[in-house]
Amino acid sequence: MGWMALAILAGLLVYFQVSISEPAAKKRAVFKTFIGIVATFLLFMAIANYKNNFYGENRLLPVSLVMITVTTFVMALYFTNLSALLKIGGLMFFVAAFLSGYGNWLPQVEGGFPPVEEKKTWDSMTPQQLADEGEKIIFGGVGKNKEQGAIGKGQCPLCHAFHAGMLGERAPNLAGLPGRGKERLEDPKYSMGNPSKREYEAKEAFPGSGTAESAQEYIAESHACPSCYVVAGYGVKGTNDKQSPMPAIHKPPISLSLPELAAVDTWMYLREGIDAPSFEEIIKSYEKFIPEADRPKQADEKPAGATSLMADGSEPIDQIFAKAQCVSCHTIPGIPGAMGTIGPKLEEGTTAAQRIKDPTYKGTAKSPTEYIMESIVDPSAFVVKPFPDNTMPKVFGQKLSAGALKKIVDYLSQVKTGAPPPKI
Amino acid sequence: MGLLAGKRVFSIMALCMMVSLLLLPIVVALPSLAIGEEAPAGDAAKKDGDKVEKGRDVYYKTEGIVVGAPAPKTVDGPRDYPRYNFESRVLLWFANQQHLYYGSFVLAVPIFCMIIEFMGVVTKDKALAKRYDQLAYDFIKISLTAYSLTAILGGILIFTFLTLYPAFFSYLSGIFRPVMHIYALMFVAESGTLYIYYYGWDKMKEGFLKWIHLSMSVILNIIGTLLMFLANSWIGFMMSPAGVDEQGRYLGNIWHVIHTALWNPLNLHRILGNMAFGGGVVAAYAAYKFLASKTEEDRAHYDWMGYIAMALGVAFLIPLPFAGYWLMREVYAYRQQMGITLMGGLLAWLFIIQATMIGILFLSTNYYLWQAMGRMRGAEKYQRYIKYLVFILACGYMVFITPHTMVMTPAELKAMGGQQHPVLGNYGVMSAKNGGINVIITTTVLSFVWYMRGNKVSTVSWAKFGNIFMGIFFACAYFNIIFLAVYGYYIPANVRVGLSVPQVATTLSCLFFMFALNSVMMKGAKQLGPIEWGKISARSQYALIMLATAFTWMMGLMGYIRSSVRLFWHVNEIMRDNSPWAYTHTVGFAANMISFNVLFFWITILFVFWLGSLGAKKVPVESKAGIPGGVPQPAASH
Repeated sequence: MGWMALAILAGLLVYFQVSISEPAAKKRAVFKTFIGIVATFLLFMAIANYKNNFYGENRLLPVSLVMITVTTFVMALYFTNLSALLKIGGLMFFVAAFLSGYGNWLPQVEGGFPPVEEKKTWDSMTPQQLADEGEKIIFGGVGKNKEQGAIGKGQCPLCHAFHAGMLGERAPNLAGLPGRGKERLEDPKYSMGNPSKREYEAKEAFPGSGTAESAQEYIAESHACPSCYVVAGYGVKGTNDKQSPMPAIHKPPISLSLPELAAVDTWMYLREGIDAPSFEEIIKSYEKFIPEADRPKQADEKPAGATSLMADGSEPIDQIFAKAQCVSCHTIPGIPGAMGTIGPKLEEGTTAAQRIKDPTYKGTAKSPTEYIMESIVDPSAFVVKPFPDNTMPKVFGQKLSAGALKKIVDYLSQVKTGAPPPKI
Repeated sequence: MGLLAGKRVFSIMALCMMVSLLLLPIVVALPSLAIGEEAPAGDAAKKDGDKVEKGRDVYYKTEGIVVGAPAPKTVDGPRDYPRYNFESRVLLWFANQQHLYYGSFVLAVPIFCMIIEFMGVVTKDKALAKRYDQLAYDFIKISLTAYSLTAILGGILIFTFLTLYPAFFSYLSGIFRPVMHIYALMFVAESGTLYIYYYGWDKMKEGFLKWIHLSMSVILNIIGTLLMFLANSWIGFMMSPAGVDEQGRYLGNIWHVIHTALWNPLNLHRILGNMAFGGGVVAAYAAYKFLASKTEEDRAHYDWMGYIAMALGVAFLIPLPFAGYWLMREVYAYRQQMGITLMGGLLAWLFIIQATMIGILFLSTNYYLWQAMGRMRGAEKYQRYIKYLVFILACGYMVFITPHTMVMTPAELKAMGGQQHPVLGNYGVMSAKNGGINVIITTTVLSFVWYMRGNKVSTVSWAKFGNIFMGIFFACAYFNIIFLAVYGYYIPANVRVGLSVPQVATTLSCLFFMFALNSVMMKGAKQLGPIEWGKISARSQYALIMLATAFTWMMGLMGYIRSSVRLFWHVNEIMRDNSPWAYTHTVGFAANMISFNVLFFWITILFVFWLGSLGAKKVPVESKAGIPGGVPQPAASH
C-alpha cells in the first residue's frame, strides 16, 4: 500500500513537471510533491515500525510517533492552506510520543497470570518443606522474606511487616506473632469463650464456631475472621476499630486452601526458632473457624482453566521452551538443554527474514515476527530443508497462551547467527 | 394577542406531552427497577415449596433468595473466549475507549450548552446574549454528529463483547437485564429530547418559549446523567460487586447491584472528568478554527469561544483531584489490597504518569492565561511577576511528580541504598506531594485572579484594603500549605495523611473566597482598555491543544488504571478471567495503546468538526450578527 501511494506521488511529480508551463508554479508544485513523497515515506516507515513492533520491543513505538510528528510539521511548512491542521496534528503526535516514550522509559513491570495451582502432597512434607511452601505463598519464593516488594499469592506483605523494627502502617507487624497469640487471648476485648460479648463487627467466624482457645487457634481465627478481633489502631477508618480491612484469607481474592494456610503458619513458627504444631493440628485449628462449604478446593478438584495450557506465559522463557518441549527437537542458543537436532537450529533473528524471501515460501508472513509466529502455529507453512514436513505438532497455537507465544517470538527474534544469545 | 398566548400555551402543553411520552417507558419500568426480581422469585418460591435457596450478599451482607445462576467458570477455548488472531482484550480496549471518549463528549457538551444558554438568557447586554446563544448553538451542533458516532461505537462495543467475551457478557447481562433495558429506553428519550432541543432552537428563541427551551436542556442533561450513572453501575459492579453471593448468584435486589461500594464516587468523578474533557475538546476546536481563521472577526469569535470552553473545563478540572481522592479512599475502604495495587504496587508507576499529566494540565492552563493577558490593555503590569509564578509552579510540580516508595528489585534497592532515594525520597512524602499540587492549584487561582482584573482598576472605596487583604490571604495560604508539607516529615504516616484536609481547605478557600472578593471589588471597575479578542498569540492556542490532548490522554490512562486494577478478574473476586490475556500489560505497552486511542479519537473528531463546518456554511449571514469586534466585556464574561 505504501508503494502505491509513493507511486501515485511520483506520478504526480512527473505530471506537474510536464503539464505546468509557468516556471515558478512548476517549481512550487514539484517541490511540494517532493515534500509529500518524503512525508509519505516517513509515514509508512512509522506505520511499519508500529505494526512490526506492536508486541515487540515497546520502546521503539514512540519512534513512530516522533516520525509522524516530523512529517506533519514538514508538511505544514509547505502546505499553507492546511497548515493549522497539520501543526495541531503535529503537536498532538508530539504529546502522544512524549507520553508514550515516558511510559516506556519507566521501569516495565508486567502483572503475571493468576497463580497456577499445583497438586502437592502436603501431609507428607517435613516442617521445613512446609515452611518453605509457606514462604513461597507469602513472599513468592524461598529466602525472599527480606526483599522489599517481594510478594506471593497470599499478598500478606502488601499490608503486614514481618521483621522487628519495621513499621507496619496498615496492619500489625507479624514478628513474634506465635508468642503474642496468647497475650491476645487474654485481652478482655477478645472475650475468650464468650463471643457474644465482643464489640466487633463479627462475633464469631460462623455461628457456633466459638472463640480461639490456643495461640494457634488465634492465628487461624484471625485469618478466617479478621473482624472477630481487631488490633487497636488497625481497623477500617471510621469504624472505631470495629471492622478489619483484611479480607478473609480463605475467600477470594486470595483463597488460600487449608494446607496452604498451614504452610504459612509453619513458616511463621520456624523462622522464629519455635517448633510448629503438626500439620494436622494446624488444619484442625482452621477447621474450627472455616465451615466445610467455605473451604477452598484443592487444585485437582478445580475445573481446568488456564491450567490446560502447556505454558501460560507467566514462566521465564527457558521454562516455556522446556514445558512446550521445543528443546527436545531444536537447538536454541541461550536456552540450557536445548540441543535437539530433529528440527532446525532456531536463529530466527537472522534466518526468518531470509526464509520469507525464499522463492519456495508460500506463507503469509511479512515480517520476521510474523514468520516465527506462523512457524509455531502452522509449521507446514514453510518447511526448512532438509527437515521433513509434518514432524512438528500443530497444536502449539492452542496449547500455548498468547503471552507464552509472545515471549517465544520475542526471544527467537533476537537470536542471531554468530551473535551472543539474548539474556534470559 | 389572545391567539398568540393560546398558541404558546398549546406549544408548551405539546412539549410537556412529548417529554412525558419520552419518559413514560422509564416511569413504567421504575417499579420493577425498585423491587428488582423479588416478585417473580417469590412466586417461584411458593411453587417450589421448601426448595428456596438463600444466599448472602458479598457486600451488603444481607440475605436474599437466589434467583440467578452462578458466575460461569470459564475455560480458555472457543466457547468462552472465541478470538481472531489478535489479542481480544486490546480490541475491546480500543472499542471501549473510543465509545467512552465520544460518550463523555456528548454528555459534557449539553451541560455546557445549558450553562451558556442560561448565561445568554440572563445577561442584560443584548449583543452579548446573542453571542452566548450562538455559541451554545454551535456547541450542540458539534455534539449532534458526535452523538451518532457515540451510538455507532456503542454498537461496536456490544458486538465486541458478544463475539469475544460471550460468557462474561451473558453473565453481566443476566444480572443487569432490567437496567440494560432501561438504559436503552433512556437512550431513546435522550435522542428525542436532543433532536427537539436542537431543531427547536430557532422556533423557541424568544420570551417564555426560550425558558421552555432552556428547561429542555435541563431535562436533556438529567437524562444524560442518569444514562451515565446506569453505565457506571456496570463498571462499579465489576470492580466492587454487590447484590450477589460468593458464587456470583444474583439475589434479587437490583438496587444493591447498582449501588455498589464505588458507584457514587465513580459517578462524581466521571461527571467532573467529562466536563473537563468536554471543555478541552471544545477549546481545541476553537483553537483550530482560530488558527485557520482568515478574518479578524472569525479570530475574535474563536478566541472568545476557546476562552469560555477553557474556563469551563478548568472550573471542573480543579475539583477533579478531590473527587479522585474520594474515589481512592473508597477503594481503600472497599479492599485495601486494591488500593495498594493502585497506589503502591503494580500500577503505581501509572500514577506517576498521572501526576505528570496533572502538572502539564495546570502548567498549560497558566500559560494560556498569561498569554491571554496579552490581549488586554492595562494587564502589562502583571507580566513582570509571571516569572515568579513560573518558579513557584515549577517547584510545586517537581515535588508533586517525585515518587517516594516504589516496588524495586533487590539490585535497584542496593543501588539506591535503601527504600527511598537519599535526596529525592524526601520530596515524595504524601503531605509534600499534596503541598506540591496545592501550590500549583493556588497559583492557578492567582493567575485567574490576575487575569480577571487585568484591564481593570477597582473603584470601590475599600480597594486598597481589599488588595492588601488579598495579598496577605494568598501569602498565608502558601505559607500554610508549605508549612504543613514540611511538618508532615516530623509526624507518623497515619497522622500525616490527615494533613491533606487543611491543605485542601486552604486551596479551596483561596478558590472560592478570593474569586468572590475579586468579583465584588471589580464590580463597576474602571476599564484601562478593552479586551481585544483575537489579539492573542498563536502560542496560546497551542496551549489549548496541549490541554485537550493531555485531558484525552489522562482520561485513557485513568480508565486503564481503573479497569486493570481488577487484575485477573472479570468481576472482582466473583468471576475469574481465564483467557490467555489475564495478565497486566507493561506500563510501556499501556502508554502506547493509550497514545493510539488518543490519536485515533482526535483524527475522527477532526472529521466530525469538518462535518460541522460543512453545515456552518449554510447558516444565514444574519445569525452571525453580533460576533464580537471590540465589544467591552463585563467582568462576568471573564
